[in-house]
Amino acid sequence: MNTTAESNRDNTPDRLQILRGRLTRSNDDRIIAGLAAGIGLRLGIPIVFARAAIVALTLAGGFGIICYLVGWLTTPDEREYGSMIEADAPPSTAQKFGLALIFYALLVALQALGLWFGAIVWPAILVIFGAALIWDRAGVESRRRLARLARPSDNGTRRSKTQIFFGAALMVVGIVVVLASLDTIQSLGPAAIAVLLTAAGFMLLFGPWIWGLVEELTDERRARIRSEERADMAAHLHDSVLQTLAMIQRSDDPQRMTTLARAQERDLRAWLFDPAGADKTGTVGDGIAAAAAKVEASFDIPVEVVVVGDRPIDDAADTLVAAAAEAMANAAEHSGARTISVYVECTEDAVDAWVTDQGSGFDLDAVSDDRKGISESILARMTRAGGEANVDSTPGEGSEVHLRSGPR
Amino acid sequence: MTSIYLVDDHELFLSGVRAELSERFDVAGWSTDVDAAVDGIRKSRPDVVLVDVHMPGGGGLSVVGNIHETNPDVRFLALSVSDAPEDVIAMIRAGARGYVTKSIDPEALADAIERIAAGDAVFSPKLAGFVLDAFSDTVPIEADPELDQLTPREREVLRQIARGYAYKQVATRLSISVKTVETHVSAVLRKLQLSNRHELARWASERRIV
Repeated sequence: MNTTAESNRDNTPDRLQILRGRLTRSNDDRIIAGLAAGIGLRLGIPIVFARAAIVALTLAGGFGIICYLVGWLTTPDEREYGSMIEADAPPSTAQKFGLALIFYALLVALQALGLWFGAIVWPAILVIFGAALIWDRAGVESRRRLARLARPSDNGTRRSKTQIFFGAALMVVGIVVVLASLDTIQSLGPAAIAVLLTAAGFMLLFGPWIWGLVEELTDERRARIRSEERADMAAHLHDSVLQTLAMIQRSDDPQRMTTLARAQERDLRAWLFDPAGADKTGTVGDGIAAAAAKVEASFDIPVEVVVVGDRPIDDAADTLVAAAAEAMANAAEHSGARTISVYVECTEDAVDAWVTDQGSGFDLDAVSDDRKGISESILARMTRAGGEANVDSTPGEGSEVHLRSGPR
Repeated sequence: MTSIYLVDDHELFLSGVRAELSERFDVAGWSTDVDAAVDGIRKSRPDVVLVDVHMPGGGGLSVVGNIHETNPDVRFLALSVSDAPEDVIAMIRAGARGYVTKSIDPEALADAIERIAAGDAVFSPKLAGFVLDAFSDTVPIEADPELDQLTPREREVLRQIARGYAYKQVATRLSISVKTVETHVSAVLRKLQLSNRHELARWASERRIV
């Protein structure tokens, strides 16, 4: 390529790129005019294929010859390439239009001479020529330009508009010709062909643009849904997490901070992992978890809950949950333990629960009346519901309340 | 002194744990992402790696998987805010020897590390509950009794752990030695890692909610 050309005029990199990507006729690998070799090089396919395609098209009613001639006329020789840059290339719209007219005249002349190729070839050439105008400068730049068509707001569409106009015009001509030569192909269903051609032309011209619109709409919808979700999450986080963090900052009692953090953690976890809603009371585990949360909130002490073999809650289990809540509150209030552990095991026909703390413990026989009352209320409640309860405690080592509902 | 390596993408948590553990352990290194962790662990060959479950770039799972292939002698303790069963089970099956939540108190964490370094398994109450749940009494038809079932004794040990008792307390309560408790827990760990019970997978996916 000519480097001196770069220094003058408006040979911006963009434009040089266009010229570099131009289809040229090969100079050193030619049989007739080097067009096949040029096409092969440009498209990056074996030259044999390009030649085979031309030969095949020639066999189809001489179509290949027409194409080759058009190609010869419209593509520069490799050797002219440099001068093409210096000349005011690429050819102006007027030049292209001129070429189209010359070509059209040539075809009319051929027809006049009686070298008629059949009703399909004629409009097909026009359609292809029209498309060729749209794609004319071949390769990367054309694709980019077509891609840009899909974004009408971007720059750089003005130049291609003229081309689109001519492409469309030629296509309309092609369709008109088909319609005009209907008498020869009436058996093929003329209306269908006309519709097909129109649709094809329409798709070629407006397809990318429509596609772009559809994509844009989809993107927009997706973005809207995303932003709604974000707003939802932000609202929730503000109401819960940020409020709690603010409360923690204002608090100077470590125990209180821990409790706030734990309550918030529980709430956030429920929200994140259980989108159906946090206030479920459908299973034994849910009931125990709710009771534990209540104790944590009122006594500022973490309650560790483990549930095995969770199952739907029934009346007997309901009593067990209430008794367990009592036991938890009891331990939280009196044991002085740092945490309370609750372990619940549901089997086929029974539910067992252990409420354990490793706090001060007590001597069952020597407790004050009110504490005895509490354990009795647990005991009495369980027995009434047909279950049982055992309190096991050693002073200094903590205590454990075992609750069982169902057959002994 | 047992050498440890810390992997966590939360700098704050990382520095907190580092401060807590640096007196009792030789901190061989730490990193905040998966790739750096894999490199660092291969280089420093610590006894125990504390690894966070949720991290960008594959998470703790890929750290454990990568190292386990090349350095099977490095032991892992998974540490996470998540109690989600599928996370816990996945980490254990990838090769971690224990799982504790980040709310664990420093002393208990240090004990857990020592236990892992000694080759034993560390089960938090939650993990014990998960295992009891996954190995519940319905025995699969094509069961390998060696791997797909817990023995009554193992079950009892896990129940005690789930109730919040430390290994030593479990030993006293069941009138066995601490060593026996450790043996039972290690056996359970092995079953958890090797069992083909499809209940393990199904169970984990069914219980997304903690």
